[in-house]
Amino acid sequence: MSNNPISRRNFLGLAAGAAGAAALAACGSSGPSNSGGSSSGGSGGGAASYWSLSGPPGEPYRQAAIDRFNKANPDSKITGTFFQNDAYKQKIKTALGANQGPTMIWGWGGGGLKEYVTSGQVEDLTSWLGENAAVKSKILPSSFGAGTVDGKIYALPVETVQPIVLFYNKKVFESAGLQPPKSWGEIMALVPQFNAKKIAPFSLGGQSRWTNMMWLEFLLDRTAGSEVFDKVFAGEKGAWSDPAVLDMLTKIQDLVKANGFQKGFSSTTADSNADQALLYTGKAAMMLHGSWSYGIQKEQGGNFVKDGGLGWMNFPAVEGGKGDPSNTVGNPGQYLSISSKATTEAKDIAKKFFSTTLVDDEEKAGWVKSGGVPVLTGSESLFTGDDAGFLKDMATIANGAKVFAQSWDQALSPTAAETLLDNIAKLFQLQVSPQQWVDAMNGVIGK
Amino acid sequence: MTTIAPPVVRTKEPSRSTGGRSGPVLWMALPAFVWFVFFGIIPLLGVLALSFTTWNGIGEIVPSGLDSWKATLSDPGLPHALWVTFLIMALSWAVQTPMSILIGVFLATSKRYREFLAVLFFIPLLLSSAAIAITYKALLDPSFGLGSGLGIDLLNQDWLGNSTLAMATLIFIVSWQFIPFHSLIYQGAVRQIPTSMYEASQIDGAGRVRQFISITLPQLKYTIITSSTLMVVGSLTFFDLIYVLTAGGPGDATRALALAMYQQGFQANLMGPASAIAVILVLVGLVLSLVLRRLGGRADDSQLEGA
Amino acid sequence: MATVTKHRPSPSVSGTPGGTRRRNKAMAYNWLGGGLSWVWLFVVMLPIYWIVITSFKTQSNYFITNPLVPASDLTFENYKTVIESDIVRYFFNSVIVTLGATVPAVLVSFMAAYAIVRGSGSRILKGMNWVFLMGLAIPLQAVIIPVYLIIIRLKMYDTLAAIILPSIAFAIPLSVLVLSNFIRDVPKELFESMRMDGATEWGTLWRLAFPLTRPALVTVAIYNGLGIWNGFLLPLVLTQSPDQRTVPLALASLSGQFGVNVPAIAASVTLTTLPIVILYAIGRRQLLSGLTAGFSK
Repeated sequence: MSNNPISRRNFLGLAAGAAGAAALAACGSSGPSNSGGSSSGGSGGGAASYWSLSGPPGEPYRQAAIDRFNKANPDSKITGTFFQNDAYKQKIKTALGANQGPTMIWGWGGGGLKEYVTSGQVEDLTSWLGENAAVKSKILPSSFGAGTVDGKIYALPVETVQPIVLFYNKKVFESAGLQPPKSWGEIMALVPQFNAKKIAPFSLGGQSRWTNMMWLEFLLDRTAGSEVFDKVFAGEKGAWSDPAVLDMLTKIQDLVKANGFQKGFSSTTADSNADQALLYTGKAAMMLHGSWSYGIQKEQGGNFVKDGGLGWMNFPAVEGGKGDPSNTVGNPGQYLSISSKATTEAKDIAKKFFSTTLVDDEEKAGWVKSGGVPVLTGSESLFTGDDAGFLKDMATIANGAKVFAQSWDQALSPTAAETLLDNIAKLFQLQVSPQQWVDAMNGVIGK
Repeated sequence: MTTIAPPVVRTKEPSRSTGGRSGPVLWMALPAFVWFVFFGIIPLLGVLALSFTTWNGIGEIVPSGLDSWKATLSDPGLPHALWVTFLIMALSWAVQTPMSILIGVFLATSKRYREFLAVLFFIPLLLSSAAIAITYKALLDPSFGLGSGLGIDLLNQDWLGNSTLAMATLIFIVSWQFIPFHSLIYQGAVRQIPTSMYEASQIDGAGRVRQFISITLPQLKYTIITSSTLMVVGSLTFFDLIYVLTAGGPGDATRALALAMYQQGFQANLMGPASAIAVILVLVGLVLSLVLRRLGGRADDSQLEGA
Repeated sequence: MATVTKHRPSPSVSGTPGGTRRRNKAMAYNWLGGGLSWVWLFVVMLPIYWIVITSFKTQSNYFITNPLVPASDLTFENYKTVIESDIVRYFFNSVIVTLGATVPAVLVSFMAAYAIVRGSGSRILKGMNWVFLMGLAIPLQAVIIPVYLIIIRLKMYDTLAAIILPSIAFAIPLSVLVLSNFIRDVPKELFESMRMDGATEWGTLWRLAFPLTRPALVTVAIYNGLGIWNGFLLPLVLTQSPDQRTVPLALASLSGQFGVNVPAIAASVTLTTLPIVILYAIGRRQLLSGLTAGFSK
């Protein structure tokens, strides 16, 4: 007991030492030991590393791009490593925190990219893209938004544009003798009609939280336009207090209370695709989901997509709403940044990769084949075969949108996104009132 | 010391020599100690240090005094997470212990089919928490799960979407995963109880229940302590299962400390507060393990030194 | 107590200890335990049954078929996918990591536990014991970044050793706690008689304490071994190249960007679990006798 103070002092002394050590370790390794990432062999020639997500539909095309580049550039080598979605998020953070990240950092742009920028982790590509206008012109202009922080471009849009759309089961509508909705009022009118037929009006993988978020994004945009969220994004104090937000939240809870979603939707997960299965098995009539769901339903739903069972549209207008119904929400692209900690040599390889392989025709054709609309311009001519109709519509939605807003959880900082997803889940379970929701969210504005 | 009378010295000798032998035995503890300090304590001190900083996990580490601690301690989520942690610990212990003992006692009698049962019971242990979580999420799906498979609508509940049900489901899955292991331990322990004890009490006309209470349970005392230690300490740090199963949801209904720490640190990028939570977690664990130590150490400690 | 531990050895290997059988006959059937065991068997087997049948379903009829009825057209496609993804290699990586971490962890913990019990008068050992107790509640997630930095400093990043070394460290606290509780129960007279016979502490450690502690060693080894076998975080953060993947990492990488391929996961779980189940079925008598050997002391 008597030597308690001493031991505490020692403890703090040790802690201070450790703090120094941790800081040193974090800074120190940015020195010469860092070759822009992995210890992937001390290859004498040029080497750059690239981390991204594993699994279908993207991995094969990512790997193909790397192979193509390595073949065309025998004296420089890109090594790709692929991680599962959740695993990647942790892995990249740990690696960057220790200054051991890859040369090329794959991401979703928005708030996550902003953190990289404020931490000085990624290269400013603005002037490089200025010098290489040809590269920039090959990419859809609307995709650059989420790769831009404070007017400077820090990430190259790659891969595909993924708007969120309202999918519906045409067969279910046909047999029920109902028409797809053209407005929010019609949606609410359809709800009791489907419920009476024991079909869930909407399928929702509510356990995954971000699925619920898509509803808020569209409803807010349709009622109040994109300005409200822009204010939130800009970190304006009390930006969530806009009356349109309360109105939107009330509408959502009305939909929940009217049994707009399948029974037990909070236990349904999007990651096993159970929400999509509800739609293609006809247990639900409609579903709001990312455009990638098309590929999943095509692969898993038997002949559902092939026989024309799947319908899609942009989210309908809300009566009296100020938002432009052409607006859309989703992923305006995926994003590739260059680590500022990489060696000049590795950076040059990455830039070469950006300006050649990632904007070539094979890249474009590959992503079309994967079932997506590429971020590269002029891909419409490639839309052929079964998927042509869907791809054309997605391209129309993406290109025709006055505002292509990025998903909120990706646009906001990771800190705010956590609170957002949490509160959205509570909103859908009617655990919080719209006002409580607004108060909670105002608390993390600008964080 | 030297003035102590000869007979006393003789009885004291062994125990003193035990104490005196700490020299010869000390080095035996060194490999474990050094190893653990290197990969456990040094990183922990790093975390302690981080709890006095602001760091988003990727940028620069900025010392910020007590900011993280203030934020953490004033967050209403903290007492809630402590409560959830305690709840998971207490409930999973309360469910697993009696079940494991009963099953263990039953399996202890050697019949072939019971050994077969023991093999099957072992399987859940071999599966990773992630695989278990994926399996249960599929089975508990209100549209495509167990309920629709068996045609029992009662099973189509909002298992993971309702706060109370989600906690119950979590406890059930933890039990599913670990009861087999603890049954196995108890099975081993029960086989160790001398048969003569039962025979004697049978002569006294004791029934099965009384035998269980007066012989089996007291004989299992130390096994219960060991198994409880594993359960309690394990429940503190387990994380994968909750992460994949509910991610702490619905809302924050199953957000235990370890998960709260992970979400603060790796999802919200608040490494400072996350480190503070980690330190709290270690303190909670320390208190718990001291209590368990007291229970398990049964005073031999003091006897050895005091003698 | 000593006598109990003495007649522990192999009767359970060669069959049933006579006493147990007699006890069983003499007593009424244990309805409560029996009923519970059978119910629990059903509870345990249902998800496992689901995993196995799902592994033979295609992803497209996974949601269309009844989850509890095997698909009428069994497919081996999932198994093909899994095997082509080099799962055999990952399996052996996992074996190396598990054995490489569990065996040293249990041995050093055993030595430390012995020292802590035998040298309980020593302040240094008391202090060490405190440190171990503190370690019980360190969640791996909390210290992963410092651990990562250490591994990089040691130039061991992306090797199996990078997973093994911290795994050993994190198995130590609990192992020491359980083992020291156990060793503490060994009657002092036994140590004393060893000492009289002129045995060194080192000799006593291996010839007396080791055999007497076997059940606890088995328990601790299994417990830690399973934890390490299924560990996800250390392999994820400390390795990178596909060559160094362990089974849990490989399982995760089977998932797609937008979702989990449930049947493929089921197939890989089945495939990687099967060898251990077989191993257990063969070795269970050994293992049980280890546990049976006197957990109650």
